[in-house]
Amino acid sequence: MINDPTTLSAANLFTSASAIWLAGLVITAIGRERVKSNFLAFLMLAGALLTLGGAAISWNQSIEYNHLQYISFGLAPANSLVDSLSVPFLGLLGLLASAAAVASPSHVDALNSQGKKGHYWKLTFIFLIGLQQVLLAANGIAFLVFWEIMSLSSAGLVAADHIRHRAQRAAFAYLTATRISTGFITAAFLWMHQNTGSWSLSAWHFGTEQSLVAAFLLLIAVCAKAGVWPMHVWLPLAYPEPPGPTSAIFTGLIGNISIYLLMRLLLAGECSHIAIAYAAISLGTISALWGVLFALMERDLKKLLAYSTVENMGIILTAIGVAILAHCHGLTTIATLASAAALFHTLNHGLVKALLFLGAASVERAVHTRELSALGGLGKNMPWTMLCFFIGSLSICAMPPMNCFASKWLVYQTFFQLSFANAPILERAMSLAMVGVLAFVGALSLACFTKAVGIAFLGRPRSNAAAKAKESTTNGPDGLIIAQLMLAIACVMIGTSVPIALDGLAPAIRHLTHDQFVIGSTLFPIPQGQLALVGGILVSSIYLFVLGRRSGEVKSYITWDCGFGPLSTRAEETGSSFSHPIGRIFSQILQLKVTTEISGKDRRHFPESVRVETFMTPILETKLYRPVMGLFDWLSSSLVRLQTGSIHIHLLYVFLTMLLLVFLGTNI
Amino acid sequence: MIAINTEAILETIAFIATFLLLPPLLVGIIRKTKARFQNRIGAPLLQPYFDLLKLLSKGETISKHTSWIFRSTAAINVSLLIILAFLAPWTSLRPFNLGADLFLVIYLLALTRFFTVLSALDAGSAFGGFGASREVTLALLVEPAVILCLAAIGSVSQTSDLGIAFSFDNVALMNQPGLWFIAGCGLFLASLVELSRMPADDPTTHLELTMVHEAMILENSAANLALVEYAHFLKILILLGISSQCLLHAIPFFWHTSQLVLALSSIFSIMILAASIAVIESVAVKLRWTKLPEFIAYSVAMSIFCVFIALSKNLN
Repeated sequence: MINDPTTLSAANLFTSASAIWLAGLVITAIGRERVKSNFLAFLMLAGALLTLGGAAISWNQSIEYNHLQYISFGLAPANSLVDSLSVPFLGLLGLLASAAAVASPSHVDALNSQGKKGHYWKLTFIFLIGLQQVLLAANGIAFLVFWEIMSLSSAGLVAADHIRHRAQRAAFAYLTATRISTGFITAAFLWMHQNTGSWSLSAWHFGTEQSLVAAFLLLIAVCAKAGVWPMHVWLPLAYPEPPGPTSAIFTGLIGNISIYLLMRLLLAGECSHIAIAYAAISLGTISALWGVLFALMERDLKKLLAYSTVENMGIILTAIGVAILAHCHGLTTIATLASAAALFHTLNHGLVKALLFLGAASVERAVHTRELSALGGLGKNMPWTMLCFFIGSLSICAMPPMNCFASKWLVYQTFFQLSFANAPILERAMSLAMVGVLAFVGALSLACFTKAVGIAFLGRPRSNAAAKAKESTTNGPDGLIIAQLMLAIACVMIGTSVPIALDGLAPAIRHLTHDQFVIGSTLFPIPQGQLALVGGILVSSIYLFVLGRRSGEVKSYITWDCGFGPLSTRAEETGSSFSHPIGRIFSQILQLKVTTEISGKDRRHFPESVRVETFMTPILETKLYRPVMGLFDWLSSSLVRLQTGSIHIHLLYVFLTMLLLVFLGTNI
Repeated sequence: MIAINTEAILETIAFIATFLLLPPLLVGIIRKTKARFQNRIGAPLLQPYFDLLKLLSKGETISKHTSWIFRSTAAINVSLLIILAFLAPWTSLRPFNLGADLFLVIYLLALTRFFTVLSALDAGSAFGGFGASREVTLALLVEPAVILCLAAIGSVSQTSDLGIAFSFDNVALMNQPGLWFIAGCGLFLASLVELSRMPADDPTTHLELTMVHEAMILENSAANLALVEYAHFLKILILLGISSQCLLHAIPFFWHTSQLVLALSSIFSIMILAASIAVIESVAVKLRWTKLPEFIAYSVAMSIFCVFIALSKNLN
């Protein structure tokens, strides 16, 4: 803890960011409809920029401060700690919150009811304060308090459109997941407090025998909150629901915060339980495969993106698992690679997912639907959204020279290097197999995102609404478009200057691995930026010398129709037919069934009507969760018999409880 | 600073000439061999060059439904494949070592696929959509095989830089004819699928309903089509080149021979592989779409053998 001016000013910046957001909350509550949305968005932006500034100043040092000392949570004070690990996440929060702030006015002004506007601003401000303070929390109690504030306010955001049945269901599913997660985190914290006698997060070490249970509890909690298989079922329900601009913060950070917790406690806390490593790797692998497969089959644009989060959370979890595994075996290089991969991919994925969700929000605003089967040809009317969504898709498919390629490369490299490291043969076999699995997942996500871009933005419009889509509410690009452009530019910039980004993350990687000799820029040796430059020069020269020569003679004509006359849009490939060949291969997992009904007077080749239907039953929901929920239903309906409403029986309960307590009191 | 000497300049010229001129010739070889198998004389060996030149001078027609993606895909793909030709170890004659990272090579190939698939969907024709959907399905099945073959080789040489793994002075891989041979065969089978050749796709049919690659490029014409074709030819060169390099490494003779012999035989072996594609296409039939996973399973099985060999070599 250093007391020089910079550390203090960083702490002041974070506190004033929270204060500004709090002020925004108060102003919304008092001012009601008199407050202009531009002013509130300005407050939100100011807080976001202050957070970014604070992150920039405290990049390389850790500060412990106690600005909230007058708040005490009984067991521990509300201490704040900024260290090298929380700084990158605070930076991401600042960036996403600025984008959301820029996008907010146009969204709020389009809302028709005052109640909805107030709901939006209040919950967003609380959510932001919760997020920031969770990242700043120095001890378990403060962490839990702000974690709850964050979870509950975000549940409110999920229920923003609460009149719809869809949003109600999503909010309940999300609340269940957060309850499970909070429960397990509390248990883990209590366990660690029992072991160490301290509430400070940095005092907890997971290298001891007794910490195994806590580590497992923590892993379950994180799986529930980040949406890792098999606890991902809430994610495709809840992720599409928050209102447009905040969906960037929600989708970019909700999963990441729990990954942050896992990193802070298990990686920085030197977890050395090989069982945890195996559990993380296997859950992560299943999650990656499952997520991307369901993403591919999805017909709803936002749900597709949500399932892709399940995939990426899985990939990050495998990297964390390998980091723990390598730490157990004392393989420093691999531990460093794995930690860097996990951290960098978490941040990149947050950024890209926020970008994609903003794009989906823009599509939904223009077409009023998220169904891929009603989209198509949007690129014509929505060029900016298409460009940004395209960049985001390139990035999330880990295409060079984007930012996710660098982090995915680090994940590949982690497994690849483990395959010839000094580790047991089974683990080495596992790591080479994982290289194959990652390639498989990569190919699936390519299929998934070419589908998303190709079906939504390219081709011919599949509905009237899609044909008449209007990108912006104003003449020029409005806030939502600018927010997308901001994030897209950030993706490209990180992608083309990976060494600089990794140098910036080096303090955090050192914090995770306890290896003081990590040099960020050497982790990723591929000169992506230069390759992109060469590629750009090549493309432009081909344009100039080959395509451009005769561009005056290019004729515009209809899409080839085999000479049959105007093509119906129903002849076009749809989202479900695009992914159908892959769906057939995995029909067992997807429970995909196709029924074909051909009618006509036994004329198979000249039918009068053909009816094809495809069904998909989500196997996990029906086979696992429905019975469990049935059990809970049965239990609660059986327990209700205790509650008869008769005062005599209730007095009997009181008496029996007293007897039990007296018995316990005398015998223990 | 690179020392400039006559030898290096000659090597560079030879390399650039090879990768610019060889690809159409390979297709010429394939077509000529197939024609001879069918008792035809066939078009001249240099016909693909003439076709490309003719396409360049034609007027272009594009669909009015397309966006900038359709217009730029061909140019982007040619550029990407030129970059790949400089990076990937498809010939032993590589005057510059730019660091051919295994995962970068695979992902650059995937990037060309990303653009091809999108440009196929761009015009909104049913054929393009079919082709695109089939292409991503095939890629999904083949990708693990390709990456595992190469990763196994990389794992034995303990580097992901294919330039080092494929150089002929890498002692770790010197006495591994089994690994190289199986990897070469696995990659060759995978390339058949990736290049839309016979068991997976019939490049000569004109029934768009059954096609993969041809269905995707149905809307391209003139210079744009020429670029698409050239990109495809380059892809043939690179993929066949990598498999032929694997097979060459399996023969001990080539480990102890001069640079010139190596360079010539690597070009020659690519031609032999091209001819063998023609032989396969002449004797085999196109598989039914639903049977294809079984065919690709051979390639995957070979890649798994490679993995086993690699794991056993690194036993400690």
